Amino acid sequence: MNLPRAFNPTRRAFSEQMASRGAESDFAVFESDIGYSTYSYLFGDRFPERYFNFGIAEVSTMAAAAGMASNGRTVFVAGYGVFLTMRALEVVRSFVCYPHLNVKILSSHGGVTAAIDGVTHQATEDIAFMTTLPEMKVLCPCDTASAKAAFDLALKTPGPVFVRLMRDPLFELYPEGTSFALGGSKVVREGSDITIAAYGDMVFEAIDAADRLAARGIRAEVLDLYSIKPVDWAGITASISKTHTLLVVENHQARNGLGTYIGDALLQTGASVRYDHVGLEDRFAESGDYRGVIETYGLCATNIEAHAKKLLATNQGR
Amino acid sequence: MEETTINRIEELKDIANEVRFRIVDMVYRAQSGHCGGSLSAADIVTALYFEIMKINPAAPDWPDRDRFILSKGHACPVQYAALSLKGYFPLDELGTFRKLHSRLQGHPVAGKLPGIEVTTGSLGIGFCEGIGLGLDAKLRKQDWRVWIVLGDGELNEGAVWEAAQAGSKFHLDNVTAIVDRNRLQNDGFCDDVMPIEPVVEKFRVFGWETYEIDGHNMSEIVRTLHVARQVKGKPTCIVARTVKGKGVSFMENVRDWHGKAPNSEQYEQAVRELRGGRT
Repeated sequence: MNLPRAFNPTRRAFSEQMASRGAESDFAVFESDIGYSTYSYLFGDRFPERYFNFGIAEVSTMAAAAGMASNGRTVFVAGYGVFLTMRALEVVRSFVCYPHLNVKILSSHGGVTAAIDGVTHQATEDIAFMTTLPEMKVLCPCDTASAKAAFDLALKTPGPVFVRLMRDPLFELYPEGTSFALGGSKVVREGSDITIAAYGDMVFEAIDAADRLAARGIRAEVLDLYSIKPVDWAGITASISKTHTLLVVENHQARNGLGTYIGDALLQTGASVRYDHVGLEDRFAESGDYRGVIETYGLCATNIEAHAKKLLATNQGR
Repeated sequence: MEETTINRIEELKDIANEVRFRIVDMVYRAQSGHCGGSLSAADIVTALYFEIMKINPAAPDWPDRDRFILSKGHACPVQYAALSLKGYFPLDELGTFRKLHSRLQGHPVAGKLPGIEVTTGSLGIGFCEGIGLGLDAKLRKQDWRVWIVLGDGELNEGAVWEAAQAGSKFHLDNVTAIVDRNRLQNDGFCDDVMPIEPVVEKFRVFGWETYEIDGHNMSEIVRTLHVARQVKGKPTCIVARTVKGKGVSFMENVRDWHGKAPNSEQYEQAVRELRGGRT
């Protein structure tokens, strides 16, 4: 893979954008004593009067955000995905989504990107919960340019928005200033044999897998589904109309992730397509270095390549 | 400090009685809902809506209004009755409570009914929402206040104590929480389910200015609410000793009336007690 290494993780890029937009918009930022990990402190340093640390208390942090948002102010709540989407899930559902409030969730350490911290800090079911909630929009950028754009999209999109961010710096894919849209996607590699759709860090594994497949004469198209909800059906449809083969890859439980949603929708439309997905196989990961964990648990280029070959060898959907 | 005349106190008592009748009538017509905890909070809620809060039913979204949050959302009959009697919506609409397509949802929902500021119903959360609202008033440098009514069983919820810390940290002297201390919760007496005493002391050590009052003594309620307005630098908590089911003899202090609707005989007796039989 021939991409430049990223200097900063997406959690930092998002927070930098949040700090840079603080002067032109009067949103507040709430957090639960994790500001130096999410980099939300970058906003707090510049706008201390609109930055509130509620202590290690995710439920009341989220509910207080709902209270403030009910008065018309946009509130970003910054924290680790596993705590914001699971401990505070009911608050997000009943008191943020149900009243359609402008509460935006900066969700760091998405997927197993908190690899070194272990399972308690890895949000591997967050997409299932957040995409299931009515009114909620879900984004997952993969690099600096898309993370900054995700902030702007979250700020301008009415209602609740969840943005999944990563712990570690990976690669830079998009030039600064690239435009992104809610409900959009990007073709990051063109191909005609198989579509590999991914989001977040798995976009890079998908690109790597596409390189490996190319060496064997298989032309894989790679889609970055950075807008998870709403998802870009037109983009997916355009790609699979060429390839008739779709592999969805996500750093998430395979069950009830974006793949399940897309697979279900494809069955409903009766599309003639071979379909499979790669994710955590109904199990928890463990502590370890990021590379070691994603390879051990199959969230990596070699496993994507293996799934792609197997899928191309079947007559499923044809 | 603002004062309330003796004549006005007598009027407020009459209004509270009318609120009680509307609670029982609403729950009877819905054949569902929570009488006990609505009746215990009737005097407090009446004092707030009819004497204390800066509100205008003709302009429910007036930016400078005081905000009322019923954190014990299951007691919404008391809020719906007060809102309706205050003129936020027609009294007839109380008959739609808990029915399909009604604005009077089973628990309060913001955006449906004028006067409902935030969605509540999951215990502990309304209190946290009130902290967020109080913070926003401070940020905007506006002087409206947030009045939150909590149940005592609700104090079991950890989120209440998270938010109590935050209220203190952020010096929210524009927030007043009133605990409807009726000593009963769903499964029985609070002392048996999960002892919460000393409630007043707990809020005090969490940094709140505290008061303990008789939650059915209208002049004491009104006086203390006036006092709470004057406190500077920290939020206030008023623990109001009340009787669950207050005003309907057979409902008073009976666990079973937490969430039960009266049958026709019970309804008629309640109406006799509250209104001399006049519906």
